[in-house]
Amino acid sequence: MTGDQSSGHCKRRHFLRIAFRRVPLAYVVAAAAFAMIPAYVTGAAQADQGSTVFATKCAACHTIGKGKSVGPDLKGITTTEDPGWLARWIAAPSALVKAGDPTAMRLVKQYPLQMPDLGLSSGDVDAVLAYVAQQSGSARAHVKGPLAPVAAPPPGDAGVGRELFVGGARFHNGGPPCMSCHSISGIGALGGGTLGPDLTDAYRKYGGDAGLASFLTSVPTPTMSAVWSKQPMTPQEIANLTGFVKEGAVSERPLGAIGKLALLAVIALVIIVLIGALYWRRRLLGVRIPLVARANMLFNRKYARRS
Amino acid sequence: MDIRAQVSMVFHLDKCIGCHTCSIACKNIWTDRKGTEYMWWNNVETKPGTGYPTTWEDQDKYKGGWVKDGDRLRLRLQGRTEGLGNIFFNPNLPTIDDYYEPWTYQYDELFNAPEGDDQPTARPISLITGKPMDIEAGPNWDDDLGGSPIYASNDVNLEKLTEHEREQLNEVERLVFFYLPRICNHCLNPSCVAACPSGAIYKRGEDGIVLISQEKCRAWRMCVSGCPYKKTYYNWATGKSEKCILCYPRLETGQAPACFHSCVGRIRYLGLLLYDADRIQETALADEADLVMAQRRIIQDPFDPLVIHAAKANGITDQQIAAAQNSPSYKFVKKWGIALPLHPEFRTLPMLFYVPPMLPVLGKMKDGIYDSSAVEGMGQMLNSLEKARIPVRYMASLFSAGNEEIIREVYRKNIAVRLFKRAQRVKDISAAEAQEALEIGKTTAEEAEAIFNLTSLPTMEERFVIPAFAREEAIEQSLDPYTHKPAAGFGYREAPARRW
Repeated sequence: MTGDQSSGHCKRRHFLRIAFRRVPLAYVVAAAAFAMIPAYVTGAAQADQGSTVFATKCAACHTIGKGKSVGPDLKGITTTEDPGWLARWIAAPSALVKAGDPTAMRLVKQYPLQMPDLGLSSGDVDAVLAYVAQQSGSARAHVKGPLAPVAAPPPGDAGVGRELFVGGARFHNGGPPCMSCHSISGIGALGGGTLGPDLTDAYRKYGGDAGLASFLTSVPTPTMSAVWSKQPMTPQEIANLTGFVKEGAVSERPLGAIGKLALLAVIALVIIVLIGALYWRRRLLGVRIPLVARANMLFNRKYARRS
Repeated sequence: MDIRAQVSMVFHLDKCIGCHTCSIACKNIWTDRKGTEYMWWNNVETKPGTGYPTTWEDQDKYKGGWVKDGDRLRLRLQGRTEGLGNIFFNPNLPTIDDYYEPWTYQYDELFNAPEGDDQPTARPISLITGKPMDIEAGPNWDDDLGGSPIYASNDVNLEKLTEHEREQLNEVERLVFFYLPRICNHCLNPSCVAACPSGAIYKRGEDGIVLISQEKCRAWRMCVSGCPYKKTYYNWATGKSEKCILCYPRLETGQAPACFHSCVGRIRYLGLLLYDADRIQETALADEADLVMAQRRIIQDPFDPLVIHAAKANGITDQQIAAAQNSPSYKFVKKWGIALPLHPEFRTLPMLFYVPPMLPVLGKMKDGIYDSSAVEGMGQMLNSLEKARIPVRYMASLFSAGNEEIIREVYRKNIAVRLFKRAQRVKDISAAEAQEALEIGKTTAEEAEAIFNLTSLPTMEERFVIPAFAREEAIEQSLDPYTHKPAAGFGYREAPARRW
């Protein structure tokens, strides 16, 4: 563009006019169709990505057209709910609950477990919505459907599950015992870790055998997936754990266990205080106040004798 | 031979009038901040008395200083393992009651009180709780023997006295006491430095001033326990320990420290000493009776060409050497040998020296009148040492780790100077008697004259011989000046504060 600016501009418009006049309409239609191909391809890829995300993050609690599980059935959700709200909800449920969103509050009341923050990117959210829309609309949904969780789990051994929970037995693929983060009734008075929720009532909360199995297969929460995505539990281990959690399924911890824990805490405190008192028995307890008290005592004694 | 320079102090106790001007000067400059209310980097104690904090000299309680353990020194406070066990709870700290609870007064009440039958009063308010309080102690609570049945009679140095001497002193206490001003001793072998788990305390290479880094200090407070003189203090507001910095910003600009500068009695002297750092351990390990002599031996003659050569090799400047040659500390401590370290048995090799007071005053009361005629003839005056009302053993407990002979020597020399000058001025003592006194005091007429001049008539320049501080050269030894220059100065310093 080295020539005069205004004259160049005029020349270009002139050229365009000539082009429109000369290029046949058919060409234009063909070009438009060609341009749409990538859009179609993208849509297909998005649904594919969505299927992966759904399988790993959502299928633990949701179905598409197979009825309520831990969470609601998502069939047709993209048409009944506002897509903008859906996107925000999937991206960060806790933000909406915190903000007091009415729909969110209703869901929290209706379902036993609040949906965790899954840490999905906005691309993932769009993809999974596209996938849900696609699955809701087509008959194929019933054929292909979400992954394994609905398959009947193998029968579990609660005893082995307990060992896995407390770390007496190793997980096949590595991975820490549940107890390092979770507590549950029936593993002794001290209980387990407090990073994750107490699992005493988990069997009911997470939707029984099927719900727990799908949860532990897909491990949707960010904290757990960080640990388990690279070293998943085997179906047999999941069944054993489910069996153990089911066995201990009571609505709250028995009072006796809490009392035992409190007693242990008091005994430990007393022992620690005693050790400290013994170790530092020769500590300096103040100099001036005892000195003055002693001198006053001697003085008073002397004075009393004289009078 | 590893010659280094040390700023060293001499306090002439005969001249101290106990006015606390030094303490106030220091307080106004350095410790009028929040969290430092109870600190007195400089304080003045009455002796006999328990001092500040109460009975600080009693290391059975406070565990400060060093202990000779065979041919090794160890901290009385703790070893490494013990230190680890005590790191989150230091069991040997003085409580605030052993210092005193700092307070102010509700001065507003003097002006704003409603009209009434009584005079308005300003109630004391605790600077710790902010609530009205009853004052139970202060930083100089036993000043001028106040409350002596409680305080003075519990002086740690009295333990070494016989029952008879104690009774004698008890009578004397009604008449005689002396003052002991104290600042950080800037020791050659500081136990606060050794006790610090954070490595926050250091001794400045160029002048030997001991400082606590306010950036590195992590509030373990082992220095508070480790220092036998209890001259490091914990600032509860910043969470850092603090101590006397010998006014190094003033020294670096050629001024005497605030307490020195403001001293009314002009008791304070400051000058450089050259010492042999290779011999610190050997000196600190000396037998108790030999500690004072060992400390004199480690101080080197600044006129000796060998010493000068070694000093220059260590980067000591010509100005510093000249200052060391002119140093009043060198004269009092080494040349004349009349200034002694306070409690050398703590083995920290303190670099603050005291000329012991010439108690008692020569004279007595006759019919309620001071009677100078009681001083008759030299024999009685020379004997005044042995008849001294404050026992030599008490002074030995303070200044020579129990070696009474050293104290006697110091006194004989000081008495000789007095008799010599008395013969000269008052002329009621014969020249022969004065000469005999000089011989007994192991001194000469010239030396007596010099001691007299530096004691009684010194100018400011003679009292404070402060060399030009070659800070840039000192920095150069550890850091490239061009690295240091942009890294220091405006905008980089942070006020000490809790940062964890």
